[in-house]
Amino acid sequence: MKGLSSQSIALAKKELYSALNSPATYGVWAFFLLFNSITFFYLQKFFSLDSATLRPYFSVIPLVYTLLIPAITMKSWAEERKTGTAELLLTMPFSEWDLVLGKFLSSLMILVIALVLTLGVPFSLFPLGDFDGGVIISEYVGALLLGMAAVALGQLFSSLAKNQISAFLGGVVVLLAVMLLNQLTSLMDLPKILADILNYLSLAFHFESFARGILDSRDILFFILVTLLFLFINTRVLLFRKWS
Amino acid sequence: MIEVHQLSKRYGTVQAVRDVSFQVGTGQVIGLLGPNGAGKTTIMKILTGYHYPTSGSALIDGLSVEEYPEEVKKRIGYLPENAPSYGDLSPLEYLSFVAEARAIPKDKRASRIKQVMDQCSLQEVKNKSIETLSKGYRQRLGLAQAILHDPAILILDEPTTGLDPNQILEIRALIRELGKSKTVILSTHILQEVEAVCSQVIIIHQGRIAAQGTSAEIGRTLKGQDSWHLELRGNLSEALPERFVFNNVSFIVQNQKRLENGNLFIKISHIDEPAMANVSPHAIGETLFDWVVAQGYKLTHMEHQKVSLEDIFVQLTKEG
Repeated sequence: MKGLSSQSIALAKKELYSALNSPATYGVWAFFLLFNSITFFYLQKFFSLDSATLRPYFSVIPLVYTLLIPAITMKSWAEERKTGTAELLLTMPFSEWDLVLGKFLSSLMILVIALVLTLGVPFSLFPLGDFDGGVIISEYVGALLLGMAAVALGQLFSSLAKNQISAFLGGVVVLLAVMLLNQLTSLMDLPKILADILNYLSLAFHFESFARGILDSRDILFFILVTLLFLFINTRVLLFRKWS
Repeated sequence: MIEVHQLSKRYGTVQAVRDVSFQVGTGQVIGLLGPNGAGKTTIMKILTGYHYPTSGSALIDGLSVEEYPEEVKKRIGYLPENAPSYGDLSPLEYLSFVAEARAIPKDKRASRIKQVMDQCSLQEVKNKSIETLSKGYRQRLGLAQAILHDPAILILDEPTTGLDPNQILEIRALIRELGKSKTVILSTHILQEVEAVCSQVIIIHQGRIAAQGTSAEIGRTLKGQDSWHLELRGNLSEALPERFVFNNVSFIVQNQKRLENGNLFIKISHIDEPAMANVSPHAIGETLFDWVVAQGYKLTHMEHQKVSLEDIFVQLTKEG
């Protein structure tokens, strides 16, 4: 894998510029903020909890990501293939890594902005109780790392799909599966080894330690490796298409 | 310099390109001519590194497109079919992105973008959204991005599609100008375009090269297909034989029909034999004239029909 090249940055800038000029991006951000806030304040009744914690707020992050991330990444490759601009990108002097990283960076920036927009919630709640800043930072780090892996997976699905809709639906289904795999272990009486494997493969399972305020290096490493794996597969998909 | 050796490409069960070989040097404009699905675009996609060949090789300045894709892509400017671009950007934003992606030095980007916009007449729409532009403007924008980094090799897939007649003439003139210092390969369906712009023609049919050379050279190899249109008067009660020999020249009557004025129209051509290699069309015409006189017919009209690129194209690309 090569480092971040000027070509990747050029592509990321162009993608981000297009995203910021698209109303859909603002719709995605609005959905994220509204979904989280409504769940937190109304469904989970934060003010009745009598507890200075944002854990309920972050507990829905894996679920909301299953819709949010595919909405961000569905255009990534599927739109390029549909409009024919993939041919332009793939005949410019970009390596496959340049292209995949450029796309990944722009989608990640959309997610980072979405997370930054949620900062209003903790900042407005701080005066109301004795919140643990360290836990909240850990929760945000976890949300970012989980998002990173999910963006890489969503982007991979976009490279496999023929259009945005199938990229979105495929992304939702697969993200639901990998996010909520650990739920199976609590719903079903599975052998321990199988339960351990399912838990390990679940993205949400690795997010739980961050939600508890623990920055576990194994979980950090897991998210980084999973992200790199999905990005690597994405480069192979691009390469494979040249042969097919 | 482009070198293509025994290039083949298979998409699943479809053999798109079969054993294609050719070379193109600097200062040449080569036209790839062929019907839809002939394999022209596939050859271009391989040369640009968008697809890899199933077998054979494509070299750009001696570099394999598979082994040195990034080096090869730096040397090539490519206008894909239908000139795809990013509709949500303006031409200026789009070309700025291409300039950055092509690593054109920052201090030269603005002047280079202005230069290609002038060349492709894009100045008046430079700040409009690309999706609102006409097909002609988008096509010119595609050409502008292809020449932006001043590549040594230009690959243009149907570069004048969607342009009006004046724009076609402008773009052809631009391609001719670029072709003086660059290697240019263009594909087209328009035969006049090949004759107007290209120094060499490669006719592709069913994935193979059906003919290659200048249009004059291709014409010469098929000169047996030159024909004469004659209108005869006289004692013509019987139909003419399909083949005959006169003064050691074999002729074949391709078509004969009675006209309203009672004259007989015939389309006739000579049969190309080794002994005829150095016989000029003029001499064949004289022989034909002598045959008419010897038969006692009166000749009211005689016209030499030279084989055109269009005839060659139709002849070479006929199914089967």
